[in-house]
Amino acid sequence: MDILTQQLFNGLTIGSVYSLVALGLTLVYGILHIPNFAHGALYMLGAYITLTLMLLWGVHYWIAMAVSVLVVGLLGVIMDRLVFHPLRNAPPIHDKIAAIGILLFLEAFAQLIWGADYRTMETPYGQVIDLFGMTATMQRVLINIGAIVVMILLFLFLKKTYIGSTIIAMAQNREGAHLVGINTNKVAMLTFMISGGLAAIAASLSAPINLVFPGMGHLVILKAFVIIILGGMGSVPGAILGGYILGFTESLGATYLSNDYKDIIAFLMLVVILSIKPKGLFSREGF
Amino acid sequence: MLELSRVSVDYGGFTAVEQVDITVEEGELVVLLGSNGAGKSTIFNAISGLQKTSSGTILFEETPIQGAAPDKIVQSGIVQCAEDRKLFPQMTVRENLIMGAYIHRRKRKQVNRSLEEVLELFPILHEKRENAAGSLSGGQQQMLAIGRALMSKPKLMLLDEPSIGLAPLIVEQMFEVIQKINQDGTTVLLAEQNAFAALKIANRGYVFESGSIVVQGSSEELLANDTVRRAYIGA
Repeated sequence: MDILTQQLFNGLTIGSVYSLVALGLTLVYGILHIPNFAHGALYMLGAYITLTLMLLWGVHYWIAMAVSVLVVGLLGVIMDRLVFHPLRNAPPIHDKIAAIGILLFLEAFAQLIWGADYRTMETPYGQVIDLFGMTATMQRVLINIGAIVVMILLFLFLKKTYIGSTIIAMAQNREGAHLVGINTNKVAMLTFMISGGLAAIAASLSAPINLVFPGMGHLVILKAFVIIILGGMGSVPGAILGGYILGFTESLGATYLSNDYKDIIAFLMLVVILSIKPKGLFSREGF
Repeated sequence: MLELSRVSVDYGGFTAVEQVDITVEEGELVVLLGSNGAGKSTIFNAISGLQKTSSGTILFEETPIQGAAPDKIVQSGIVQCAEDRKLFPQMTVRENLIMGAYIHRRKRKQVNRSLEEVLELFPILHEKRENAAGSLSGGQQQMLAIGRALMSKPKLMLLDEPSIGLAPLIVEQMFEVIQKINQDGTTVLLAEQNAFAALKIANRGYVFESGSIVVQGSSEELLANDTVRRAYIGA
Protein backbone atom coordinates (compact mmCIF):
# COMPACT_ATOMS: atom_id res chain seq x y z
CA MET A 1 0.00 0.00 0.00
CA ASP A 2 2.73 2.47 0.97
CA ILE A 3 4.72 1.62 -2.12
CA LEU A 4 1.64 2.05 -4.27
CA THR A 5 0.81 5.58 -3.06
CA GLN A 6 4.46 6.50 -3.27
CA GLN A 7 4.61 5.28 -6.85
CA LEU A 8 1.35 6.98 -7.78
CA PHE A 9 2.82 10.23 -6.49
CA ASN A 10 5.97 9.62 -8.51
CA GLY A 11 3.85 8.92 -11.57
CA LEU A 12 2.02 12.17 -11.05
CA THR A 13 5.32 14.01 -10.81
CA ILE A 14 6.84 12.49 -13.95
CA GLY A 15 3.52 12.85 -15.73
CA SER A 16 3.41 16.57 -14.91
CA VAL A 17 6.75 17.11 -16.60
CA TYR A 18 5.77 15.00 -19.61
CA SER A 19 2.48 16.85 -19.98
CA LEU A 20 4.15 20.26 -19.99
CA VAL A 21 6.64 19.19 -22.66
CA ALA A 22 3.96 17.47 -24.73
CA LEU A 23 1.68 20.55 -24.52
CA GLY A 24 4.30 22.72 -26.21
CA LEU A 25 4.81 20.11 -28.87
CA THR A 26 1.11 19.63 -29.55
CA LEU A 27 0.39 23.38 -29.76
CA VAL A 28 2.99 23.88 -32.48
CA TYR A 29 1.85 20.75 -34.27
CA GLY A 30 -1.79 21.83 -34.02
CA ILE A 31 -1.36 25.14 -35.80
CA LEU A 32 1.58 24.55 -38.14
CA HIS A 33 1.67 20.76 -38.54
CA ILE A 34 5.37 20.81 -37.77
CA PRO A 35 6.66 17.90 -35.67
CA ASN A 36 9.19 20.04 -33.83
CA PHE A 37 12.01 17.65 -32.94
CA ALA A 38 14.00 20.66 -31.74
CA HIS A 39 11.55 20.95 -28.83
CA GLY A 40 13.81 18.57 -26.86
CA ALA A 41 16.71 20.97 -27.34
CA LEU A 42 14.59 23.86 -26.07
CA TYR A 43 13.87 21.76 -22.99
CA MET A 44 17.59 21.14 -22.48
CA LEU A 45 18.45 24.83 -22.93
CA GLY A 46 15.74 25.77 -20.46
CA ALA A 47 17.50 23.71 -17.79
CA TYR A 48 20.96 25.06 -18.66
CA ILE A 49 19.87 28.68 -18.60
CA THR A 50 18.23 28.32 -15.19
CA LEU A 51 21.26 26.43 -13.89
CA THR A 52 23.77 28.96 -15.24
CA LEU A 53 21.92 31.94 -13.80
CA MET A 54 21.81 30.23 -10.40
CA LEU A 55 25.46 29.18 -10.42
CA LEU A 56 27.09 32.23 -11.99
CA TRP A 57 25.12 35.08 -10.47
CA GLY A 58 23.42 33.36 -7.60
CA VAL A 59 20.03 34.33 -8.99
CA HIS A 60 17.09 32.91 -7.04
CA TYR A 61 15.54 29.73 -8.45
CA TRP A 62 12.21 31.31 -9.42
CA ILE A 63 13.77 34.38 -11.03
CA ALA A 64 16.22 32.18 -12.92
CA MET A 65 13.30 30.11 -14.14
CA ALA A 66 11.37 33.19 -15.26
CA VAL A 67 14.37 34.45 -17.26
CA SER A 68 14.81 30.99 -18.75
CA VAL A 69 11.15 30.94 -19.84
CA LEU A 70 11.59 34.27 -21.59
CA VAL A 71 14.87 33.37 -23.27
CA VAL A 72 13.71 29.97 -24.49
CA GLY A 73 10.38 31.44 -25.59
CA LEU A 74 12.24 34.03 -27.66
CA LEU A 75 14.46 31.30 -29.03
CA GLY A 76 11.31 29.52 -30.17
CA VAL A 77 10.18 32.68 -31.96
CA ILE A 78 13.58 33.09 -33.62
CA MET A 79 13.43 29.46 -34.71
CA ASP A 80 10.06 30.13 -36.35
CA ARG A 81 11.15 33.31 -38.12
CA LEU A 82 14.55 32.05 -39.21
CA VAL A 83 13.72 28.48 -40.17
CA PHE A 84 10.08 27.43 -40.19
CA HIS A 85 8.51 30.59 -41.59
CA PRO A 86 10.54 30.56 -44.80
CA LEU A 87 9.61 26.88 -45.20
CA ARG A 88 5.87 27.46 -44.83
CA ASN A 89 5.09 26.61 -48.44
CA ALA A 90 7.72 23.91 -48.78
CA PRO A 91 6.88 20.19 -48.72
CA PRO A 92 6.34 18.89 -45.13
CA ILE A 93 9.52 16.82 -45.12
CA HIS A 94 11.57 20.04 -45.18
CA ASP A 95 10.17 21.09 -41.79
CA LYS A 96 11.12 17.74 -40.31
CA ILE A 97 14.65 17.86 -41.65
CA ALA A 98 15.03 21.46 -40.50
CA ALA A 99 13.75 20.57 -37.01
CA ILE A 100 16.28 17.77 -36.67
CA GLY A 101 18.98 20.16 -37.92
CA ILE A 102 18.09 22.69 -35.22
CA LEU A 103 18.12 19.94 -32.60
CA LEU A 104 21.63 18.84 -33.57
CA PHE A 105 22.85 22.41 -33.77
CA LEU A 106 21.52 23.40 -30.35
CA GLU A 107 22.93 20.28 -28.72
CA ALA A 108 26.37 20.86 -30.18
CA PHE A 109 26.07 24.49 -29.09
CA ALA A 110 25.26 23.45 -25.52
CA GLN A 111 28.18 21.05 -25.49
CA LEU A 112 30.50 23.82 -26.69
CA ILE A 113 29.43 26.23 -23.96
CA TRP A 114 28.70 24.01 -21.01
CA GLY A 115 30.66 20.86 -21.86
CA ALA A 116 29.38 17.31 -21.90
CA ASP A 117 29.43 16.79 -18.11
CA TYR A 118 26.40 15.82 -16.12
CA ARG A 119 25.51 18.60 -13.71
CA THR A 120 23.16 18.82 -10.78
CA MET A 121 20.88 21.71 -10.02
CA GLU A 122 20.56 22.69 -6.37
CA THR A 123 17.09 23.67 -5.32
CA PRO A 124 16.06 25.81 -2.38
CA TYR A 125 13.28 23.27 -1.88
CA GLY A 126 15.36 20.16 -1.17
CA GLN A 127 13.88 19.42 2.26
CA VAL A 128 12.03 16.18 2.77
CA ILE A 129 8.48 16.54 3.96
CA ASP A 130 5.81 14.20 5.15
CA LEU A 131 2.81 14.26 2.87
CA PHE A 132 -0.24 12.21 3.93
CA GLY A 133 2.05 9.51 5.24
CA MET A 134 4.48 9.49 2.34
CA THR A 135 7.87 11.07 2.22
CA ALA A 136 8.62 13.39 -0.65
CA THR A 137 10.96 16.24 -1.31
CA MET A 138 9.44 19.68 -1.45
CA GLN A 139 10.72 19.95 -5.04
CA ARG A 140 8.53 17.05 -6.16
CA VAL A 141 5.50 18.68 -4.61
CA LEU A 142 6.44 21.88 -6.40
CA ILE A 143 6.64 20.12 -9.76
CA ASN A 144 3.09 18.91 -9.34
CA ILE A 145 1.65 22.19 -8.16
CA GLY A 146 3.66 24.18 -10.71
CA ALA A 147 2.54 22.04 -13.62
CA ILE A 148 -1.11 22.20 -12.65
CA VAL A 149 -1.00 25.97 -12.18
CA VAL A 150 0.65 26.40 -15.57
CA MET A 151 -1.91 24.15 -17.25
CA ILE A 152 -4.81 26.04 -15.71
CA LEU A 153 -3.31 29.36 -16.80
CA LEU A 154 -2.77 28.01 -20.31
CA PHE A 155 -6.32 26.73 -20.46
CA LEU A 156 -7.74 30.08 -19.34
CA PHE A 157 -5.53 31.88 -21.84
CA LEU A 158 -6.65 29.67 -24.73
CA LYS A 159 -10.33 29.64 -23.85
CA LYS A 160 -11.02 33.00 -22.27
CA THR A 161 -8.89 35.55 -24.09
CA TYR A 162 -9.28 36.77 -27.65
CA ILE A 163 -5.60 36.44 -28.36
CA GLY A 164 -5.49 32.90 -26.97
CA SER A 165 -8.50 31.79 -29.00
CA THR A 166 -6.68 32.81 -32.17
CA ILE A 167 -4.40 29.83 -31.54
CA ILE A 168 -7.39 27.50 -31.31
CA ALA A 169 -9.02 29.13 -34.33
CA MET A 170 -5.90 28.72 -36.42
CA ALA A 171 -5.56 25.08 -35.34
CA GLN A 172 -9.13 24.36 -36.39
CA ASN A 173 -9.12 26.21 -39.70
CA ARG A 174 -6.15 28.18 -40.87
CA GLU A 175 -7.87 29.83 -43.83
CA GLY A 176 -10.88 30.59 -41.66
CA ALA A 177 -8.48 32.42 -39.35
CA HIS A 178 -7.24 34.47 -42.32
CA LEU A 179 -10.81 35.30 -43.29
CA VAL A 180 -11.73 36.78 -39.90
CA GLY A 181 -8.64 38.97 -40.04
CA ILE A 182 -6.23 37.06 -37.81
CA ASN A 183 -2.55 37.61 -38.64
CA THR A 184 -1.45 33.99 -38.73
CA ASN A 185 2.25 34.86 -38.68
CA LYS A 186 1.79 36.54 -35.33
CA VAL A 187 -0.17 33.57 -34.03
CA ALA A 188 2.64 31.26 -35.14
CA MET A 189 5.20 33.37 -33.26
CA LEU A 190 3.02 33.48 -30.16
CA THR A 191 2.62 29.70 -30.27
CA PHE A 192 6.36 29.12 -30.56
CA MET A 193 6.88 31.54 -27.66
CA ILE A 194 4.43 29.61 -25.45
CA SER A 195 5.82 26.29 -26.58
CA GLY A 196 9.40 27.29 -25.70
CA GLY A 197 8.24 28.76 -22.40
CA LEU A 198 6.48 25.52 -21.46
CA ALA A 199 9.63 23.51 -22.25
CA ALA A 200 11.71 25.83 -20.07
CA ILE A 201 9.26 25.55 -17.16
CA ALA A 202 9.19 21.76 -17.43
CA ALA A 203 12.99 21.54 -17.56
CA SER A 204 13.59 24.01 -14.73
CA LEU A 205 11.06 22.27 -12.51
CA SER A 206 12.39 18.78 -13.14
CA ALA A 207 16.15 19.50 -13.36
CA PRO A 208 16.68 19.32 -9.56
CA ILE A 209 15.38 15.74 -9.49
CA ASN A 210 17.21 14.76 -12.68
CA LEU A 211 20.56 15.72 -14.16
CA VAL A 212 21.43 18.46 -16.61
CA PHE A 213 23.42 17.45 -19.70
CA PRO A 214 23.35 18.22 -23.45
CA GLY A 215 21.44 15.05 -24.35
CA MET A 216 18.84 15.37 -21.57
CA GLY A 217 16.13 16.26 -24.07
CA HIS A 218 16.38 13.07 -26.14
CA LEU A 219 14.30 10.67 -24.16
CA VAL A 220 11.89 13.38 -23.03
CA ILE A 221 11.12 14.53 -26.57
CA LEU A 222 10.68 10.96 -27.82
CA LYS A 223 8.25 10.32 -25.01
CA ALA A 224 6.49 13.61 -25.71
CA PHE A 225 5.96 12.41 -29.26
CA VAL A 226 4.55 9.15 -27.92
CA ILE A 227 2.22 11.21 -25.73
CA ILE A 228 0.88 13.42 -28.48
CA ILE A 229 0.44 10.47 -30.80
CA LEU A 230 -1.44 8.71 -27.98
CA GLY A 231 -3.50 11.80 -27.21
CA GLY A 232 -4.11 12.76 -30.83
CA MET A 233 -1.73 15.11 -32.64
CA GLY A 234 -2.69 18.70 -31.87
CA SER A 235 -5.07 17.90 -29.02
CA VAL A 236 -4.49 19.87 -25.81
CA PRO A 237 -6.48 17.65 -23.42
CA GLY A 238 -4.89 14.66 -25.16
CA ALA A 239 -1.40 15.94 -24.36
CA ILE A 240 -2.25 16.47 -20.68
CA LEU A 241 -3.96 13.14 -20.24
CA GLY A 242 -1.40 11.29 -22.32
CA GLY A 243 1.39 12.77 -20.18
CA TYR A 244 -0.17 11.55 -16.97
CA ILE A 245 -1.02 8.14 -18.42
CA LEU A 246 2.60 7.69 -19.42
CA GLY A 247 3.85 8.97 -16.07
CA PHE A 248 1.71 6.52 -14.11
CA THR A 249 2.48 3.59 -16.41
CA GLU A 250 6.19 4.22 -16.11
CA SER A 251 6.33 4.57 -12.36
CA LEU A 252 4.06 1.59 -11.73
CA GLY A 253 5.91 -0.46 -14.34
CA ALA A 254 9.23 0.43 -12.74
CA THR A 255 8.02 -0.86 -9.37
CA TYR A 256 6.04 -3.91 -10.31
CA LEU A 257 7.83 -5.06 -13.46
CA SER A 258 11.39 -3.87 -13.57
CA ASN A 259 13.13 -0.54 -13.26
CA ASP A 260 15.35 -1.43 -16.20
CA TYR A 261 12.40 -1.64 -18.57
CA LYS A 262 10.93 1.72 -17.48
CA ASP A 263 11.74 3.50 -20.74
CA ILE A 264 10.57 0.68 -22.96
CA ILE A 265 7.08 0.85 -21.48
CA ALA A 266 6.33 4.13 -23.26
CA PHE A 267 7.15 2.74 -26.65
CA LEU A 268 5.40 -0.55 -25.99
CA MET A 269 2.30 1.42 -25.09
CA LEU A 270 2.63 3.37 -28.33
CA VAL A 271 2.65 0.17 -30.37
CA VAL A 272 -0.36 -1.25 -28.51
CA ILE A 273 -2.49 1.90 -28.65
CA LEU A 274 -1.71 2.61 -32.27
CA SER A 275 -2.71 -0.94 -33.19
CA ILE A 276 -6.05 -0.49 -31.46
CA LYS A 277 -6.74 3.21 -32.11
CA PRO A 278 -4.57 4.39 -35.00
CA LYS A 279 -5.73 8.00 -34.72
CA GLY A 280 -4.87 8.30 -31.04
CA LEU A 281 -7.14 8.42 -28.03
CA PHE A 282 -8.49 11.93 -28.61
CA SER A 283 -8.00 12.59 -32.30
CA ARG A 284 -8.43 16.36 -32.31
CA GLU A 285 -11.76 16.43 -30.51
CA GLY A 286 -12.42 19.44 -28.36
CA PHE A 287 -9.08 21.21 -28.76
CA MET B 1 -15.99 51.09 -54.23
CA LEU B 2 -14.20 48.00 -55.58
CA GLU B 3 -12.45 48.12 -58.90
CA LEU B 4 -10.58 45.25 -60.52
CA SER B 5 -8.77 46.13 -63.69
CA ARG B 6 -7.08 43.61 -65.94
CA VAL B 7 -6.55 41.15 -63.09
CA SER B 8 -4.92 37.82 -63.94
CA VAL B 9 -4.13 34.92 -61.63
CA ASP B 10 -1.80 32.06 -62.56
CA TYR B 11 -1.44 28.70 -60.83
CA GLY B 12 1.95 27.49 -61.99
CA GLY B 13 1.64 27.58 -65.76
CA PHE B 14 -2.16 27.58 -65.77
CA THR B 15 -4.06 30.86 -66.02
CA ALA B 16 -7.14 30.57 -63.82
CA VAL B 17 -8.30 34.15 -64.30
CA GLU B 18 -7.36 36.29 -67.28
CA GLN B 19 -7.62 40.07 -67.67
CA VAL B 20 -10.74 40.50 -65.61
CA ASP B 21 -12.40 43.89 -65.05
CA ILE B 22 -15.05 44.15 -62.34
CA THR B 23 -16.49 47.22 -60.67
CA VAL B 24 -18.78 47.28 -57.68
CA GLU B 25 -20.36 50.55 -56.54
CA GLU B 26 -21.25 51.28 -52.95
CA GLY B 27 -24.60 49.78 -51.93
CA GLU B 28 -24.86 47.46 -54.94
CA LEU B 29 -25.49 43.75 -55.02
CA VAL B 30 -23.45 42.35 -57.90
CA VAL B 31 -23.45 38.72 -58.95
CA LEU B 32 -20.71 36.67 -60.62
CA LEU B 33 -22.22 33.79 -62.58
CA GLY B 34 -20.29 30.83 -63.88
CA SER B 35 -19.95 27.10 -63.63
CA ASN B 36 -17.48 25.22 -61.44
CA GLY B 37 -13.89 26.07 -62.25
CA ALA B 38 -14.81 29.26 -64.11
CA GLY B 39 -12.61 31.28 -61.76
CA LYS B 40 -15.12 32.87 -59.38
CA SER B 41 -13.46 31.58 -56.19
CA THR B 42 -10.03 32.48 -57.53
CA ILE B 43 -11.18 36.08 -58.01
CA PHE B 44 -12.55 36.15 -54.47
CA ASN B 45 -9.32 34.77 -53.05
CA ALA B 46 -7.35 37.34 -55.01
CA ILE B 47 -9.49 40.15 -53.55
CA SER B 48 -9.16 38.66 -50.04
CA GLY B 49 -5.37 38.40 -50.36
CA LEU B 50 -5.35 34.60 -50.06
CA GLN B 51 -4.19 34.26 -53.67
CA LYS B 52 -1.46 36.32 -55.35
CA THR B 53 -2.42 38.09 -58.56
CA SER B 54 0.04 37.90 -61.42
CA SER B 55 -0.98 41.20 -62.99
CA GLY B 56 -3.60 43.93 -62.81
CA THR B 57 -4.77 46.19 -60.00
CA ILE B 58 -7.42 45.87 -57.34
CA LEU B 59 -8.62 49.17 -55.88
CA PHE B 60 -10.80 49.33 -52.78
CA GLU B 61 -12.04 52.82 -51.97
CA GLU B 62 -9.36 54.19 -54.31
CA THR B 63 -6.53 52.34 -52.50
CA PRO B 64 -4.64 49.50 -54.20
CA ILE B 65 -4.99 46.31 -52.14
CA GLN B 66 -3.45 43.66 -54.39
CA GLY B 67 -0.64 41.89 -52.53
CA ALA B 68 -1.82 43.08 -49.10
CA ALA B 69 -1.98 40.50 -46.29
CA PRO B 70 -5.39 38.87 -45.71
CA ASP B 71 -5.75 40.36 -42.21
CA LYS B 72 -5.09 43.88 -43.54
CA ILE B 73 -7.78 43.40 -46.15
CA VAL B 74 -10.33 42.36 -43.53
CA GLN B 75 -9.37 45.46 -41.53
CA SER B 76 -9.95 47.65 -44.56
CA GLY B 77 -13.56 46.39 -44.68
CA ILE B 78 -13.70 43.46 -47.10
CA VAL B 79 -14.79 40.13 -45.70
CA GLN B 80 -15.18 36.86 -47.56
CA CYS B 81 -17.64 34.15 -46.78
CA ALA B 82 -15.97 31.20 -48.47
CA GLU B 83 -17.63 28.42 -50.44
CA ASP B 84 -16.58 25.71 -47.97
CA ARG B 85 -17.46 28.07 -45.08
CA LYS B 86 -14.15 27.67 -43.26
CA LEU B 87 -15.74 27.65 -39.81
CA PHE B 88 -13.97 26.62 -36.61
CA PRO B 89 -15.69 23.23 -36.24
CA GLN B 90 -15.01 22.48 -32.57
CA MET B 91 -15.85 25.97 -31.37
CA THR B 92 -19.44 26.79 -30.47
CA VAL B 93 -21.64 28.92 -32.69
CA ARG B 94 -21.19 31.84 -30.29
CA GLU B 95 -17.40 31.44 -30.24
CA ASN B 96 -17.30 31.35 -34.03
CA LEU B 97 -19.30 34.55 -34.22
CA ILE B 98 -17.09 36.25 -31.65
CA MET B 99 -13.98 35.25 -33.61
CA GLY B 100 -15.66 36.91 -36.60
CA ALA B 101 -15.36 40.22 -34.77
CA TYR B 102 -11.63 39.69 -34.20
CA ILE B 103 -10.66 42.99 -35.82
CA HIS B 104 -12.98 44.81 -33.37
CA ARG B 105 -11.73 42.83 -30.36
CA ARG B 106 -10.92 45.95 -28.34
CA LYS B 107 -14.50 47.25 -28.67
CA ARG B 108 -16.25 44.78 -26.37
CA LYS B 109 -19.58 46.61 -26.38
CA GLN B 110 -19.71 46.77 -30.17
CA VAL B 111 -18.89 43.05 -30.39
CA ASN B 112 -21.74 42.19 -28.05
CA ARG B 113 -24.14 44.41 -29.98
CA SER B 114 -23.14 42.81 -33.30
CA LEU B 115 -23.58 39.40 -31.73
CA GLU B 116 -27.13 40.26 -30.72
CA GLU B 117 -27.89 41.62 -34.19
CA VAL B 118 -26.58 38.52 -35.93
CA LEU B 119 -28.44 36.17 -33.58
CA GLU B 120 -31.58 38.18 -34.27
CA LEU B 121 -31.05 37.91 -38.03
CA PHE B 122 -30.57 34.11 -37.72
CA PRO B 123 -32.91 32.80 -35.00
CA ILE B 124 -31.65 29.25 -35.59
CA LEU B 125 -28.15 30.32 -34.59
CA HIS B 126 -29.55 31.77 -31.39
CA GLU B 127 -31.14 28.44 -30.65
CA LYS B 128 -27.90 26.55 -31.36
CA ARG B 129 -25.49 29.11 -29.92
CA GLU B 130 -23.83 26.67 -27.52
CA ASN B 131 -23.52 23.84 -30.08
CA ALA B 132 -20.26 23.10 -31.87
CA ALA B 133 -20.22 24.58 -35.37
CA GLY B 134 -19.27 21.19 -36.80
CA SER B 135 -22.50 19.67 -35.49
CA LEU B 136 -24.77 22.00 -37.49
CA SER B 137 -26.54 21.10 -40.74
CA GLY B 138 -25.26 22.48 -44.04
CA GLY B 139 -27.77 25.33 -44.13
CA GLN B 140 -27.08 26.29 -40.53
CA GLN B 141 -23.34 26.25 -41.17
CA GLN B 142 -23.85 28.54 -44.14
CA MET B 143 -25.85 30.95 -41.99
CA LEU B 144 -23.13 30.82 -39.37
CA ALA B 145 -20.52 31.59 -42.03
CA ILE B 146 -22.53 34.61 -43.18
CA GLY B 147 -23.13 35.63 -39.57
CA ARG B 148 -19.44 35.36 -38.76
CA ALA B 149 -18.63 37.52 -41.77
CA LEU B 150 -21.17 40.14 -40.65
CA MET B 151 -19.52 40.32 -37.22
CA SER B 152 -16.58 42.15 -38.77
CA LYS B 153 -18.98 44.93 -39.86
CA PRO B 154 -17.78 44.80 -43.46
CA LYS B 155 -18.29 47.50 -46.06
CA LEU B 156 -18.08 44.86 -48.77
CA MET B 157 -19.02 41.22 -48.37
CA LEU B 158 -17.83 38.57 -50.81
CA LEU B 159 -20.23 35.63 -50.76
CA ASP B 160 -19.00 32.51 -52.51
CA GLU B 161 -21.82 30.15 -53.55
CA PRO B 162 -23.93 30.42 -50.41
CA SER B 163 -26.63 28.20 -51.90
CA ILE B 164 -24.38 25.26 -52.77
CA GLY B 165 -25.65 21.92 -51.51
CA LEU B 166 -28.69 23.34 -49.72
CA ALA B 167 -32.34 22.32 -49.91
CA PRO B 168 -34.51 24.59 -52.14
CA LEU B 169 -36.46 26.03 -49.22
CA ILE B 170 -33.24 26.95 -47.40
CA VAL B 171 -31.83 28.46 -50.59
CA GLU B 172 -34.81 30.77 -50.76
CA GLN B 173 -34.29 31.87 -47.14
CA MET B 174 -30.61 32.38 -47.85
CA PHE B 175 -31.29 34.76 -50.72
CA GLU B 176 -33.78 36.69 -48.61
CA VAL B 177 -31.14 37.13 -45.95
CA ILE B 178 -28.55 38.25 -48.50
CA GLN B 179 -30.98 40.79 -49.87
CA LYS B 180 -31.67 42.06 -46.37
CA ILE B 181 -27.95 42.38 -45.60
CA ASN B 182 -27.56 44.41 -48.77
CA GLN B 183 -30.56 46.61 -47.97
CA ASP B 184 -29.10 47.26 -44.52
CA GLY B 185 -26.14 48.92 -46.21
CA THR B 186 -23.51 46.26 -46.92
CA THR B 187 -22.29 46.09 -50.48
CA VAL B 188 -22.37 42.49 -51.70
CA LEU B 189 -20.44 40.66 -54.39
CA LEU B 190 -22.05 37.26 -54.82
CA ALA B 191 -20.71 34.27 -56.75
CA GLU B 192 -23.47 31.87 -57.78
CA GLN B 193 -24.46 29.07 -60.09
CA ASN B 194 -28.11 29.51 -59.21
CA ALA B 195 -28.45 32.30 -61.79
CA PHE B 196 -32.18 32.84 -61.62
CA ALA B 197 -32.39 33.29 -57.84
CA ALA B 198 -29.25 35.41 -57.77
CA LEU B 199 -30.31 37.74 -60.60
CA LYS B 200 -33.69 38.28 -58.95
CA ILE B 201 -32.00 40.05 -56.02
CA ALA B 202 -28.94 41.51 -57.81
CA ASN B 203 -28.49 44.89 -59.48
CA ARG B 204 -25.93 43.75 -62.02
CA GLY B 205 -24.01 40.68 -63.03
CA TYR B 206 -20.97 39.29 -64.80
CA VAL B 207 -20.84 35.91 -66.50
CA PHE B 208 -17.58 33.99 -66.21
CA GLU B 209 -16.37 31.31 -68.57
CA SER B 210 -12.95 29.68 -68.25
CA GLY B 211 -11.45 32.57 -66.35
CA SER B 212 -12.75 35.50 -68.37
CA ILE B 213 -15.90 37.61 -68.41
CA VAL B 214 -18.05 36.78 -71.44
CA VAL B 215 -21.23 38.75 -70.73
CA GLN B 216 -22.07 41.56 -68.34
CA GLY B 217 -25.04 43.81 -67.73
CA SER B 218 -27.95 44.63 -65.46
CA SER B 219 -29.99 41.80 -63.99
CA GLU B 220 -32.82 42.42 -66.47
CA GLU B 221 -30.43 42.29 -69.41
CA LEU B 222 -28.83 39.09 -68.19
CA LEU B 223 -32.18 37.43 -67.50
CA ALA B 224 -33.16 38.22 -71.08
CA ASN B 225 -29.81 37.20 -72.55
CA ASP B 226 -29.95 34.00 -74.61
CA THR B 227 -26.53 32.65 -73.60
CA VAL B 228 -27.35 33.15 -69.93
CA ARG B 229 -30.76 31.58 -70.28
CA ARG B 230 -29.42 28.54 -72.09
CA ALA B 231 -26.43 28.00 -69.85
CA TYR B 232 -27.79 28.78 -66.41
CA ILE B 233 -31.53 28.95 -66.32
CA GLY B 234 -32.35 26.08 -68.59
CA ALA B 235 -35.04 27.87 -70.60
